Amino acid sequence: MRQITYIVTRFDGVKSFTQTYTFPHQPGKTLLWGLITIKETLDSSLAFTAACRAAVCGACAIRVNGQAFLACETPLDGILDRFGDTLTIEPLQNFPVIRDLVVNWEPKAERLAAANTWLKPQDNFSAKEGCKQSVADFKKITPQINCILCGACASECSKLSANSDDFLEPFTYSKVWKFVADSRDKDAAARVKAIVDKGLWKCLHCVECVTKCPKGLAPGEDIARLRQMSIKMGYTDNPGARHAKAFLQDIEDTGRLNETKLSLRTIGMIGSIGKLPFALRLLRRGKLNPLHAPSKVKGHEQIKAILKAVRESEQ
Amino acid sequence: MLTFDVLVIGSGGAGMRAALEAVRQQGLSVGLMTKMFPTRSATGCAQGGINGSLQNADPNDSIEKHIFDTVKGSDYLGDQDAIEHFITAMPDAIRELDFLGVPFSRDSEGRIAQRNFGGASSPRTCFSADVTGHVILHALYEQCLQHGVKILADWYLLQLVTDEGKLSGVVAYDLKGGRIVPIAVKAVVIATGGAGRMYWLRTTNPFTSTGDGIAACFEAGIPVKDPEFVQFHPTGLAGTGILMSEASRGEGGYLLNNKGERFMSRYAPKKMELATRDLVSQAIETEIKEGRGFGEGLSAYVQLDLRHLGREKILERLPQIRELAITFEQVDPINEPIPIRPSCHYSMGGIDVIDYKTCATAVDGVFAAGEAACVSIHGANRLGGNSLADIVAFGKFAGLGAATCAKQRGASNESSVDLAAHTWADKFAAVTTRKTGVTTAALRDSLAEIMWNNVGVFRTADEMEAALAVVDRLIAEYQNVMIPDQNKLYNSAFVNYIELGSMLTLAKTVVLGALNRKESRGSHCRADFPSRDDDNFLKHTLVAKQNGEFQVAYRPVVITKYPPAERKY
Amino acid sequence: MKYAFFPGCVLEGAAKENYIATTAVAKALGIELVEIPGWTCCGASHVQDVDDLAATAINARNIALAEQMNMPLLTVCNTCTLMLRKAKAKLDGGQKEKINGILAKADLQYQGTSEITHLLWVLLKDYGLDKLQAAVKRPLKGLKVAGYYGCHILRPPALMDFEDFANPQSLEKLIASLGGQPVEFGHRLKCCGFHATYTAEPDMIAITGQTNQSAVEAGADCMVTPCPLCQMSLDMNQPEGQAAVNCHQEMPVLHLAQLVGLALGLSPEQLGINRHIAGREVIQAKIK
Repeated sequence: MRQITYIVTRFDGVKSFTQTYTFPHQPGKTLLWGLITIKETLDSSLAFTAACRAAVCGACAIRVNGQAFLACETPLDGILDRFGDTLTIEPLQNFPVIRDLVVNWEPKAERLAAANTWLKPQDNFSAKEGCKQSVADFKKITPQINCILCGACASECSKLSANSDDFLEPFTYSKVWKFVADSRDKDAAARVKAIVDKGLWKCLHCVECVTKCPKGLAPGEDIARLRQMSIKMGYTDNPGARHAKAFLQDIEDTGRLNETKLSLRTIGMIGSIGKLPFALRLLRRGKLNPLHAPSKVKGHEQIKAILKAVRESEQ
Repeated sequence: MLTFDVLVIGSGGAGMRAALEAVRQQGLSVGLMTKMFPTRSATGCAQGGINGSLQNADPNDSIEKHIFDTVKGSDYLGDQDAIEHFITAMPDAIRELDFLGVPFSRDSEGRIAQRNFGGASSPRTCFSADVTGHVILHALYEQCLQHGVKILADWYLLQLVTDEGKLSGVVAYDLKGGRIVPIAVKAVVIATGGAGRMYWLRTTNPFTSTGDGIAACFEAGIPVKDPEFVQFHPTGLAGTGILMSEASRGEGGYLLNNKGERFMSRYAPKKMELATRDLVSQAIETEIKEGRGFGEGLSAYVQLDLRHLGREKILERLPQIRELAITFEQVDPINEPIPIRPSCHYSMGGIDVIDYKTCATAVDGVFAAGEAACVSIHGANRLGGNSLADIVAFGKFAGLGAATCAKQRGASNESSVDLAAHTWADKFAAVTTRKTGVTTAALRDSLAEIMWNNVGVFRTADEMEAALAVVDRLIAEYQNVMIPDQNKLYNSAFVNYIELGSMLTLAKTVVLGALNRKESRGSHCRADFPSRDDDNFLKHTLVAKQNGEFQVAYRPVVITKYPPAERKY
Repeated sequence: MKYAFFPGCVLEGAAKENYIATTAVAKALGIELVEIPGWTCCGASHVQDVDDLAATAINARNIALAEQMNMPLLTVCNTCTLMLRKAKAKLDGGQKEKINGILAKADLQYQGTSEITHLLWVLLKDYGLDKLQAAVKRPLKGLKVAGYYGCHILRPPALMDFEDFANPQSLEKLIASLGGQPVEFGHRLKCCGFHATYTAEPDMIAITGQTNQSAVEAGADCMVTPCPLCQMSLDMNQPEGQAAVNCHQEMPVLHLAQLVGLALGLSPEQLGINRHIAGREVIQAKIK
């Protein structure tokens, strides 16, 4: 009889430890089924949260071999094929752990509130009359309304893992974008302005959030949309915006990145001086050639024509 | 001692709407207690829509038509004055939801779109793709964040403490803090949802739908009204019981037996698949019983066929249920029919609310709203789309009712709440130090088996008598359950144990109500009493605990405009 | 085997050694690389933050140029690969007409006839590891190599569908076919932080240190990565990274082509390893 093993990282309020559970395999089951089997046949003290078991309440996200999954909808057989019959089970990363696999969402609720994630309806709408919204405008927010606050995106977010003081959870950025894009909302400008100061340009582009979302949201892309809008609104006086604009400018100028000028344009003269030891290190190995500036690529006039056409189509 | 003027227990649509309304009243301390994180509630599982006569899809629809549909849908057991009050409030309630941020699907004029639903004479079910409950739940949570509602997340209700028929407070288990806490409360709103998990695996409900608030009220002397009326949703996935929304039939899906026949033509020739849920569930079970289903026994099923709707419509209107069918049955409804079977879905019965305008119960200071309550607006069968409507309407009424009550009540009797908390702490110690006994899961599974087999879609006296005996035995064995976890911090085994207690108590009320109702009405279908009996049973069942015994009593249904008539679809 | 070669900007500048190694290895293996005339920067995941349409259109041009050459497009940088594949997915997913309207202003058209691939995928699929193993002249015996994938060759799985994002094995298989000993280490699938060099520098430095430390703890002699951005981040920032985590064992970080080149018998100098900041002597010592 084929046996499955979950090595579970547990926490009893005082100490962390792992506990190994082994149970007989059954085909066609989910990750959550494994946890329930352990709880009902081996150890009823194992604590985890689960409710709807239909991938809509977001309660059962856990980490398997370092990757977050929504346990109720993840086929166990697929996971076993991928990792083998012994799995490492941990609570979500980047959340405080209460007990075993149960994490505390209260700090996340506070951070959601700090980002003003609620509708601020336009002045011509009222509670009595409701709102109006076109079919096309409703479509603009349909991916983001499906967020179930499962936390999988936050678990592997590389930036949150490095430092959560100056960055919000990916789902929070998606929620902010949801309201910026909601035609019923009146506060898009203020929301974009506020989010620039809440780590908008610190996302590392690691694409973990997009990969992990069980409901098809792409928080990383919502962050990109917020960034685009922040630039359109003129919030360009920050390294992130300047860095991004430098790339587009270089493509327009020559078609290739000008590495030498990049630092100056992103963080200015003073900032670049701060990076002098780094630059010298590169110079010594021949990695940096301050005299090298790319020349216009062949067919550069095509690039100019394309970018002109892009701008015209966006008028 | 922790104190609240208004404490809402349960964070589904009704609970959050009540908390928001109470907070609006100003000058009161309001708390919202919930046993997980607030957005894990069963409201989020509701898919198809919320009913209101907005007249967007059909200008000829009317509140009166909606009232009649609800009365008829209830098989004439709904109290018609309460129904009128409820239905009249709905169009405004839905427009307010829009204003609060709920993203509704729209029609070509930018108004809230409406679709057809079971038992409705006009398309009045407002929706958001097929995730209506989910978006309402999250919008209400966003509003709670905006208005700074104090949320006690991962706090589990253990007991309502009363003195001489008046609420003194609540004993709760603070899971994150690892302690049992007495709370002095002037007015409580119980919005803890239904109890479908007494059928454990054959239900659409989340694991958390264990009826704790209903049981707590029952223990505090408030009757359970109409417990026997358990709605079986026709289309739960065959393997798991997961809900396939009524919207799948609202958008035109067919139900097929093993002959490929749209069998509803024999049971409800006019409405076909969009007859009321009780009728459709009974039809499916009859087909299976008479050998026209697929598979056998507990694995038997019929088919929900959406293929003719076409890929585009399915992806636009029913994306979530498609994902569920693919994930949990390995079937893509674009290409194949989905195996389905009725699953316990909703408790029409619940806490006996005696004032439909304030949601008050017989105990001063205790209010109830949502699925946990029975007003009764759903009577013997609830229309699809009327539950999301119920929770926003009555959540508001209860929030206001509780706030008004709290303003008028004096300070609570803290000492009795304190005493109750100590008793619970002792109970926790006793239960978790027991060295031998049965497991929670074993008793729970026995309960579920007897309930599905003997108190399910079709009922007879013999089977229900047998069920009653089993339930009584399980209640006795419950005193002997072993919980091998003494850690006070987030003791889920202890919570599961108390949840089982709630389910056992409520299961007994269901069986008693069903045994004593010698007729068939709505979702209560008796093979030995197949007809509706208005002469003897146009009344609500009330099961109450008196001197430790379960007593059955009755109260007449309020009929205003619509005398009971034959119910055909 | 002929490919339209898309080097990417950094191979002209700070990661020139990857250009040197790639062209040397391609020659040794008989893979013909024809550089796309007039290719531009792919946008590097930054242009999409300014103007998503511009990013797609510019890459549509890059792909159209490769199509004119009648060859699949080969990249050697993870982010270039992702940017180009993202653009292609948008074009194939309904935006072709709109973008072709823009490309027409430059007398170009996107047909949809080219594939976008990476040297790592080519070696595994088109060239084949058996054939690669047969070409090995200096088996990397006893060399413990930690494969570091880099985000953009794995994620998102819908676009980067060569292998399982959660447990890829292409680097491990490649290392083994070169005679080396693959070492799976804790940070093998994690982000290097390169794209936030300016906006989250302390985090990027900390991540650099943690990644190197993770490889050290797993007993690796060196790391290999298919992405020159990761290579630059982990190599050029290594002194600061080490200081941040207090781990002072030098960890050479090789470009994919450099590891292959060493196994094919090329010298570290021929592969540009002398341009690296960290671990040059380590490699010299191991390759004896």
